[in-house]
This record gives sequence, structure tokens and C-alpha cells, in this order.
Amino acid sequence: MAPSKPQRIHIGFRQALSLLAPYIKDRLLTQIRSVWLIILYLVFFQTLILRIRIFEAAVIAVGIGLVVVGLTLFMEGLFLGLMRLGSLIGSGLPRKSPIWVVLMFSLVLGFLATLAEPSIQVLQMAGMSVKPWDAPLLFLLLNRYAHYLVYAVGIGVGVAVALGMFRFYYNVSLKPFIYLFVTALAGATVWASLDANLASIVGLAWDCGAVTTGPVTVPLVLALGIGVSRMVGSAESGTTGFGVVTLASLLPVVAVLTLGAVLNTTVPAPMSRTGFFSEENRARVQVLFEASSDFDRYRLQETGPAPGEVPAEGIADDGSGPAIDMRGLLQRNGVAALKAIGLLTVPIFLVFFLVVRERLPHPDEILLGLFLCVAGLAVFSIGIELGLDKLGTQVGKKLPAAFKTIAIPEAGRAIDGFDPTIVQTAVSESGEPYQFFFTQKGRRVVSVPYEAERFDPLTRRYHYTPVKGPLFGEGATVPGVLLVVVFAFIMGYGATLAEPALNALGVTVEDVTAGAFRKSLLMQAVAVGVGIGIALGVMKIIFAFSLAWILVPAYLVLLLVTRLSTEDFVNIGWDSAGVTTGPITVPLVLAIGLGIGSQVGVVEGFGILAAASVCPILTVLLLGLHVNRKQRDALAESADGDGRKS
Amino acid sequence: MSTGKTISLVTAHVHKNIAKDVTTGIKDAGVLDFYMYAARSVVIDKKQGVWSMLPGRDLAEDPLETIFFLATHEAGPSLAHRIAELGHLYAPGRGSVLVEAVDLLEGHALCRENEVPGPYVPPPPGHLHTCTGICCIMQRGQGETVARIPLDTGTCVPAIHFGTGMGVRDKMGLLRITIPWEKEIVYAFTTLHEADNIMEMMIEAGRLERPGSGFIYTFPIEKGLVNIRVRRGQQQHAASIEQIVTTLDSIKGGTDWRRRRNLGSRRAGREKQYIRNLVDMVLICDGGTGPDLMKAAMAAGAGGATISSVQYVRPADSPQGAIPPVRDACSMVIPESMTGRVRLALEAAGAFTDRCHGRVHVRKTYKAFTYIGG
Repeated sequence: MAPSKPQRIHIGFRQALSLLAPYIKDRLLTQIRSVWLIILYLVFFQTLILRIRIFEAAVIAVGIGLVVVGLTLFMEGLFLGLMRLGSLIGSGLPRKSPIWVVLMFSLVLGFLATLAEPSIQVLQMAGMSVKPWDAPLLFLLLNRYAHYLVYAVGIGVGVAVALGMFRFYYNVSLKPFIYLFVTALAGATVWASLDANLASIVGLAWDCGAVTTGPVTVPLVLALGIGVSRMVGSAESGTTGFGVVTLASLLPVVAVLTLGAVLNTTVPAPMSRTGFFSEENRARVQVLFEASSDFDRYRLQETGPAPGEVPAEGIADDGSGPAIDMRGLLQRNGVAALKAIGLLTVPIFLVFFLVVRERLPHPDEILLGLFLCVAGLAVFSIGIELGLDKLGTQVGKKLPAAFKTIAIPEAGRAIDGFDPTIVQTAVSESGEPYQFFFTQKGRRVVSVPYEAERFDPLTRRYHYTPVKGPLFGEGATVPGVLLVVVFAFIMGYGATLAEPALNALGVTVEDVTAGAFRKSLLMQAVAVGVGIGIALGVMKIIFAFSLAWILVPAYLVLLLVTRLSTEDFVNIGWDSAGVTTGPITVPLVLAIGLGIGSQVGVVEGFGILAAASVCPILTVLLLGLHVNRKQRDALAESADGDGRKS
Repeated sequence: MSTGKTISLVTAHVHKNIAKDVTTGIKDAGVLDFYMYAARSVVIDKKQGVWSMLPGRDLAEDPLETIFFLATHEAGPSLAHRIAELGHLYAPGRGSVLVEAVDLLEGHALCRENEVPGPYVPPPPGHLHTCTGICCIMQRGQGETVARIPLDTGTCVPAIHFGTGMGVRDKMGLLRITIPWEKEIVYAFTTLHEADNIMEMMIEAGRLERPGSGFIYTFPIEKGLVNIRVRRGQQQHAASIEQIVTTLDSIKGGTDWRRRRNLGSRRAGREKQYIRNLVDMVLICDGGTGPDLMKAAMAAGAGGATISSVQYVRPADSPQGAIPPVRDACSMVIPESMTGRVRLALEAAGAFTDRCHGRVHVRKTYKAFTYIGG
């Protein structure tokens, strides 16, 4: 074909500005609209309900600004570059190569996606407080064999993507896959929770499934799926192209549980702390560490601080505002973003040019899009780290103040030249003596409980850590717990609306249905579901019941609702479960989980994410049932006028 | 290769739930290949009870499946009747079906009109009526502003689908990303005498006199059955108004009796400058080849194009199985005098070769309106 070059329109600088300004403003406003709720809410909650001021407010504000800018760039990059690339390869590859090539490509892409997206690190962070004597297997998976964990999840995702493409080729419903995997997983979960060691990794396994599908993988896999399904599937099979994300959230759970079961044979059972460090167990616990020197180092580090003291809690570590290492931050996040996008797009480009061998339409737009993706992801991650993460951690740590007394180390200060003679003794209602002293705070005089061990007689310095709460009386009172649960709900709801992957899913659904299924409707349903899920997860931590109590009944109900729902909604509903837990929700959820977990003394804060994944499926499917019933009624009503049945 | 032949373009906009009945039915009737794409319809759905206090839109959307195919001119009306029977479309609220006479200008040997075996059962008198189609192309997200007009006037339930636009955008550098390329295409169907009025109201509602806001044109429809159930919800009468209108239509044998004087158009002060003698030239080609072919057409003088991705349904074991299932439907509204030139440009660009499997049909328009400088 003779490439006809249409004459270019020359655009002056002013004209370019007048085009760019509304374009940028429009995009920025969209993102501001998506994040304002969660941010205002967090600020409002901490300052007005918990009545604790926000520390490092300036840094957090800058961070939130970066989140908005990063999201704007990233989303634009997604639509311009990554998703177009996904659909190009999705529609191009099946035309040029047999099914097994497509499946192999999907397998590799799924595996790489897991390596590319640093979500596993997030889980490792969540497992930082895991002690090897409480949960040896969990400790092993998060530390020595962390790379096995990543590979297991990668294989799970890879197989899932390939299986998803296979479905499109043969036009197989998603339902049987759901029945199969969910029943198997429910069984495995129950079975695992009977074993002391496996029980500890149930939460991790389910969270792995929830976390793996991040903001780069999901849009890419969606675009790929829609491209492939349109090219190979039958046109009359309805809204296909979805469902891959679902499989990519279920299969990693299978993979991780299997890995756990295999490793479990070599791992000692949970034991006491002293038993762990005792000589007779030395050989058995050594398996948890690479070399015996690692074990010694760990022992030194663990037995260093006096027993009974909670490490990392007593001292104001990151809260006191150390200088931020801007260069390190930039470098780390920049490299991570480049890795996330590069690992996925380089193979796609290779396959596109080597196998599909077509001209890339609008290469400049696609490259710009990919560049925006990298830049956006980097800025966004920096923003999350500086802003949302910090804010979330602050609120998360303080949240238990709703039902118990907590210390606020960030507000701690030292009183020099403290004179112990000003300490006075009061008596509590039950008759116990209680020491306190008065201190001036601003213009008010407040009483502060006195603890002798915080006074250093040599320097005459008293370290004073203010405490807060409980807001509603001691113990897990109904209003206190209710406040936490309501907080968790609104936080989940707000964070979900800001999730980039869900936005991409919403746009894709709207696109595929020509607007018949509106993005806002889907997002609302998902957000409500996530909110409910997080509230349930928080309750799990507070009341320390097994995750199986949430997951098994929820998935059983889901099986039933799935049975009743149409294929369209099953695909979309289950997919939305996978996309909900992204870079905005996860740190916030973990912050709360860990905050509450550390205050009520739970081994790990896992499982909230898994709960946050199951509920949105339910809400979307229920919405689907409602919408379908309405439409069927309307159709039936019209058919009656014709005197015939629909 | 058939050139300059008048054939029937049959289009059905039906609810997704009944699309399957229709497609199996037309396959049985002998339609070998047809096209489908997802669309949506909007109807007025007033909130009831407590919900009415809540703010928000009073429209509800339904998933539609638009099915279209070419058939010989004799078979068209009979196939439309068949579709109406299959989908029970004679009851208002389930969909619309339309037959247009179009010119098949040029096409790859595999892409011909369907030659459906007879005997043809013509629709009973009073069932399908002559009407006018209105097609309006807007920026994505703006479609409902104009789609409201046929709803508010009780004219028809509009069908909306998505496409991408080409035009000024593709003559720019990378700055083109600032101009959205996603378009929304709204189809409405009216009676002959109301079309001008409705079109004018749509122009006003969409403020199409502003530059870059959209494009609208009307086109003839030989026979059509239009879904007029614009409202959903409780009824207070023994029959709905739509049922009464439909029944009267069939008794009176047409829609001429429904003349309305005042549709509520606020008669803009300035007489509108309509563009006449335009045709809608539609090229259907293999998926992905549309944009390049349209560039060639634009180099030959076409002002712009709208491309929608359509699904091509054909038996995989027929010769048509060589054609990929995803195709681009590219529509260009150009002066009638330009068709020859554009067609040559398309041919030179390889539109009708095995690489693109292109086919061009031309639909006449009554009049069109958009912003024309000055």
C-alpha cells in the first residue's frame, strides 16, 4: 500500500498550550475526584475522631500531591500505551500463530507479571513481625524461601493467564473453573487450618492471590484477553475477554498452599520461644535459615532487647521525621517502575515484531504511553510511600485507641531537669494507688501518669510518651469496635474508588458493553464490597477468629450466586475481585491490619486482603442479578403485549 | 465484484437477551454472513418512591446487540419481517429493525450481499413503515444529551454505540493525544415528517453549531419497525401508550396520522445552514486495516471518518472463513461527487485485496449539519 502522507497541520506554541491546558486539567481533576474521599477521610478521622494531630503533615501533603500526579500520568499511559499494546498483541498473535504459541506466550507473560510487580514485597512487609517459633512455615516462606513463594505465585498466574486464553479458544464458561477451584480451595483451607503449621500460611496464600494482580498486570491482561477472545471466540458468546484476572487470583492460592504443604514436611511444629532457641531444637530449626550463621545473627537480634519489651514500638523510629533520602527514593521507585513496565513490554514488543510482524500503529503514541506509565508509576509509588503510606500507618497505629490505650511515640518528648518530688499519688476507684504529675501543655495544665522506669536519675530526664484512648471505655466495647469497623468500611470504600486497576477494568467494561454497564455502577458495587470485606477482616483480627470462618461461608454463598448469575456478570464480578487490591488499598489495609494486630497481639495481619477480595464478587454478582431481573421484567412486560412469551 | 447495485442493508437493534434468537433465526433463513456489535439503548426510568428524592439521572440503559447484513433488494423487507417475528419486535420495547436501500459500490469477491433463497414473505401491510434515520456522532460521554430528544418526544428508543474518530487529529503531531478520539454514535428513527423537527432539536441539545462538537445527518429508511417504548415503569392504564400507537399504526397502515405540531423546539433565531448532497460511504475491512485505509481516503479529500469495530459472523468452513472475525466499519460522510475519487483512493490503497477484504456501500443522506467555519 502506498503510504499516503496527509499534510501536517502546524501548531504554534500558544495553540499547543491551549490544547494541552484543558487536557491536563481534565485528567488531573479526574484523579483528584478519585482520591479526595480516601485522603480527606483519613485526615478527618485522625484529627477529628481520634483527635491526634498528623505528624509530618508537610511531607504527607507533598506525597499526596505526587500520588495524584502519578496516577494521572499512569492512567493516561495505560490507555495510550499499555492497553493498546495488549490488545494489539491479543488480536495479532492468534491470527499469526497456533494456539500453543498463544498459550506459551500467556504463560510467560503471567509469570513475568508476578516478577515485575513488587507486590510480594508488600506481603513480606506484612510478615515482618512473624516470629519463627510461632509460625515456622510462614517464617520460612517469607524469609529463606521467599523466592520460592514468588515463583509459586508466578507459576500460578502464568497458568491462569494461559488457562484464560484457552477458555476463549474453546468458548468455555468460567463457571466450572470457579466451582472446581473454589471447592478445592475451600477444602484445602479447612484442611490446612487443622494443621498448626499450614494454618499460619492460609492467610498468606489467599492474600497472595489477591495481591498479585496489580495495576500493570490487570490492564494488560484485560486488553490481551479481549483481543484474543474477539479474534478466536464466537461472536455470540457475549461479553468475553474477562475472567483471566479471576483465574489469576485463584491459582496462586493453590500454588502457595501446595508449596506450603510440600515444605511442611521439613519444618518443625510451632514451639515456645525458649524452645526455639534451646540447643536440642537447634538442628530442627536450622532448616528455617540459610546458614547457621544466619540463625546466630537472628538469635542475637531477637534476644538482644530485654524480653517483654515490644521492639520497634517503644522508640520513635520513623515517626520523628528523619531526613528523607530523596535520591534513594527516586532511584528505587524509578527502577521498580521501569522493571514493572519493561519486563512486560519488552517480551510483547519482541513477540510483536518477530511473530506478528505487523506495523505498529501510532508508534509515537504507544511509546509516549509507555513512558508515561513508567514515569507515572514511579511518581505514584513515591507519593504512596511519602504520603498515603505514612498517613495510613499513622491512622492504623492509632486506630486501636478506639477501644484500648495506646502510646503515641511520635508525640513523645523528654523533660529535662525533671524533679521526681513533683510526682503525686492518687487513688483509683478500685483503691489502687496511681502516680502522676502535672505538666503544662500549651496554656493548659494536664496530668500525666508517672512511670518510674522512664525517669533517668543521672541526666534527670523524664521520657514522656503521651497515650490516647480508649475513646469508649476499656476493653473491646461495642462502640469502640464499631468505630474501628465503620472506619475500616469507609476506608476500603474510598481506597477502592482510587484504585487504578479497577478504573481500567471499569473503562474496559464500559467499552465492551458500549456503555450499557456503566463504570460508575461497577466501581460503586466493588467499593462497597471491599469496604464490607475489610470491615470483616478487621473484625477477624480484633476477635482473633480463623480466616476460614469468613472465607468458607463467603465462598459457599458465592458458588450459589455464581450458579444463578449470567456468564457476563460472573466474568466481570469475579474479575473485579482480583483488581480491587492494588497499590492504594494494600498499604492502607496492611497498616490497619498490622496496627490492630500489634496492639491486640496477633501473629500476623494477613487475611484482610483475602476478605476484601471475596466481598466485592458478591456485591457485583448481586447487582448483576438485580439488573438482569429488571431487564428481564421489562422485556417480559413488552412481550406480553404481543400475546407471546419472551 | 458487483458495482453500483442497489441492495438492502438490514439492521436490527435488539436487546442482548433476544439477540441469540434473532441470529439463529436469520442463519436458518439463509443469511450466510452478518455483522454484530455491542450497543446500548437508553429509556426514561423515573425513580419511584423514596428513591425519587435522590439526585441523579432518570435514564436506564439496556445492553443492545446491533446486527446488520446486506441482502438482495428483494429479500430485504421479508428478512426484516422475519427478524421482527423472531424477536417479537412487534411488541414495543424489544428492539427496532430497519431496511435501507444502499448502493454496493465495490467489494472483495468474498464480501457480497447475501442471496437469501425465496419465497419471500413480505411484511403484512401496516407492520413496517417508511421512516427516517438520524445519525449523530458526538464525543464520547456526550451522546446522551442528544439521545434525550427522541426519548422526551416519545419518538423512539435511540441506539448508541462507540467508535473512534479520525480527522483533524491525524494531521497533527503527538499533540493529537489531547483531542479525544473516542466517539459515541447515536441512532434515532422518526417518522418522515417529524425528522426535521427532531433533528433540529438534537442540534440544539447537542449544541452542534459549536466547532468540534459533533456531526448529524438524516437518511432514508425504506421499511422500519421502531421501538417506541421510551418509558419504563408503572402503568396506570389498561394499555400502554406505546401499545395504542402501535395498534393505530397498523390500523391506519402507516405513521402519517401521528402529526404533531409543536414538539417543543425553541426555533433558534438563525436559520440553520444544512449541507445537502452528502452520502455516507461505509467501508468494511479487516480489523486493524481501517485507520490506514481511512488515511488514504482522507488524502483523497474525505474530511474525516468514524471507525467502529464489528464482529463478523460467518461459518468458519465457508470461503468467508478466510476473513478474520474482527472487522472495522469505517464511515465517511462526503459529498456525493467525491465518491468516485475516494473509491479509487481506497482501491489504490489495497482496500479490496485479500489483505483487507474491503467492501464499500453508500447510503444517501437527506441533509446534514455540523459546524462549518466562518
